[in-house]
Amino acid sequence: MASTLSVALTIIVQAAMISALYALIAIGFTLIFGVGGVLNLAHGATITMGAFSAYYAGQLGLGLPGAVLASVAVPAIFAGLLYLGMVKRLEEEPIMVMITTLVVSVVIEQAIVVFEGTTSRSIPQLIEGQFSLAGATFQNLLGVMFVVSWIIIGLLFLFVNYTKTGKGILAVSMSHKGASLVGIQSSRINLITWIIAGAFAGIAGLFLGSWLTADFAMGQAQLVLSFSIVVVGGIGSIRGSVVGAYLIGFLEIATTNLISSSLQGLAPLVVLVVVLLVKPEGLFGREFAE
Amino acid sequence: MVNDGSSGSAGAANGSKNTGDEYNGNRSKLNRRRFIQAAGVGAAATGFAGCLGGGPGESSEGIPSEVTLGVLAPAPENNPIGAAIANSAELAAEKLNNSSDLLGDADSVSVSIKNTQESPSTGRQRYRELTLDEGANMTTGVFTSEVLLQLMDPISQQQTVHMTSGAASPKASNQVNEEYDKYKYHFRAGPINGYHLGQNMVDFLEAKGNDLGWESVALLVENYEWTNPVQQAIDDHIGDLDVDVVMEERYASGTSNFGPIYDSVEESGADAAFVAMAHTGTPAVVQWARDQRPFEFGGIHVLTQLPAYYSQTGGACRFTVSQNTATPQSELTDKTLQYAQDYNSAYGGFPVYTGYITHDAIMQWATVATERGTVNADEVVSGLEESSYTGTAGSLDYYGKDHEYAHDIKYNFRTDSPPETGVNPVFQQWQESDGSGTQEVLHPEYVSSADYQAPPWV
Repeated sequence: MASTLSVALTIIVQAAMISALYALIAIGFTLIFGVGGVLNLAHGATITMGAFSAYYAGQLGLGLPGAVLASVAVPAIFAGLLYLGMVKRLEEEPIMVMITTLVVSVVIEQAIVVFEGTTSRSIPQLIEGQFSLAGATFQNLLGVMFVVSWIIIGLLFLFVNYTKTGKGILAVSMSHKGASLVGIQSSRINLITWIIAGAFAGIAGLFLGSWLTADFAMGQAQLVLSFSIVVVGGIGSIRGSVVGAYLIGFLEIATTNLISSSLQGLAPLVVLVVVLLVKPEGLFGREFAE
Repeated sequence: MVNDGSSGSAGAANGSKNTGDEYNGNRSKLNRRRFIQAAGVGAAATGFAGCLGGGPGESSEGIPSEVTLGVLAPAPENNPIGAAIANSAELAAEKLNNSSDLLGDADSVSVSIKNTQESPSTGRQRYRELTLDEGANMTTGVFTSEVLLQLMDPISQQQTVHMTSGAASPKASNQVNEEYDKYKYHFRAGPINGYHLGQNMVDFLEAKGNDLGWESVALLVENYEWTNPVQQAIDDHIGDLDVDVVMEERYASGTSNFGPIYDSVEESGADAAFVAMAHTGTPAVVQWARDQRPFEFGGIHVLTQLPAYYSQTGGACRFTVSQNTATPQSELTDKTLQYAQDYNSAYGGFPVYTGYITHDAIMQWATVATERGTVNADEVVSGLEESSYTGTAGSLDYYGKDHEYAHDIKYNFRTDSPPETGVNPVFQQWQESDGSGTQEVLHPEYVSSADYQAPPWV
């Protein structure tokens, strides 16, 4: 009985931490869709860019602050430029945005292959040490990741609901025309959204790379994961993305712990198919207002 | 620049102006040969050969004035395994150009390097470019077994000697055995084939079992073609030892999160993870070290063979044990250290195993071609079958055509003295000395440099 409880506690703690990362990965993706109505297929590559920005900062001897700053700033600037340079011109054609961002994603991955090759790169450890909880031992990194994820989610909630710009984001997500009628520049709001999403992706890449190492294809699985999470939560809903991330995170950890470690990565896909068949609008439908 | 592939390009390291998928290295022979060329003899011969079509089949009687070595390497610009192949081929060509004994009738020996991108279809295309467009007199390289197996038919069609220096799948040698006349042009200069790699892991456990103290192991094998025979050999032979295999997992090829797998290893109570990893090795070793998993780690981990790996992983590979062809510290033959030093002088870093093997393959081919006085593929095949060449990794001898591993380099397990025929891989451990990592050799005894150190957290 005690051991069953211990296993359950271990699963809960593991799942809580990995889900926090998943939430971080998915929020930017859903933010862009919720506000701009387009799917950013370069989201996974932006995560990869965050990880490699930290890697290069480490190689250049910029230390931990430099690595953190680079992992946030480079993807954020990239996302902003991607919006201004390409997406803004194609906003009325969502399919073209998908194609364009997919191409950009491939270009980024191939650039990494050319400069770094296909082997994984070790990013300097952000935080050293371990802690014990529920009978299991975890890296301090994962604990910090959990805390940072919730701080970011909290700040995003406050930003969206209690600042003028945030309310502008809400307005644009509800209606571009309505927002325009009250004097909100939707293109400016979209740009801010892309920059925020890029920064979030960069932070996710930093943690992911520091935890698992970084490679050119690391963003591919994260893009699929983002899809699954936002479909489960309801496309465009931040609250739904957080719930979806935790649902998938718990399912994955339970599957790998209780059935087989070879099944990792399967849970998001199974959940995606089931939700699309049973409740295609997701748990929280398509709404943005929190 | 440390030319371990982590920075810069092999092409740049060699001063080549070409970039991208390929670059060519050309170094002229001695002035003596230039004199001959100036007399017009060489030029006329070259021109005549060109009129006849210039392919290896047509111009392969005798030693041609220009010898071309075709090299297939994965991303030689940034993959350390590919860089070692490319750089070692350049180094070997330079030695041949400076030698009056080897390929003495040739005016120049040049190297053409192509990037396989670890893709079978790309590998086939690049191989055809080397043999059909550039008339390579021999080809070498190839790291990925999936690429090699797709090259076997083109090799048989072009009838040009190919000496593999990275891929380990014994399916290639099985093909030579089954259809000798068709596939006889393939030789594996190293490493020992996949089945022998696995057998060697078990032999190591048997020889060093008392020092390691591994009474139970969890076998973790990445799901790639090369690990099939490795796993088969371990399954076949580990039962002879007093070691329990408490877990065996062939994990997905794209695995990056080893948390669930390591949880299972911990639950199994294994003393050590006994691994066969190449492509997925870095996340595996980094997560093992950073999580301080309570089990030891050893087997075949291709990336820990990189001399620059300690700094690349921030020391995460410390305490890991891996089979290797040779290290810069292991004096397997009187050529090993000299080659490593030459490589280091030329490229600012030490090679990985594919470098030793590529160098040996080219030098053995050149030796045989010189002895036979021709680059004719059938002649060279016969010569290689009879050859026993002492290279940097040991003695290069090949199994005969009736052996199931026909034309594979012979594996010869010895603990006390270097084998007279065949090669005996070494087992290294990353240990720390003065704040930096060194690849200390644990086994075999005749080249060992240190005792095994268990991770302090286990």
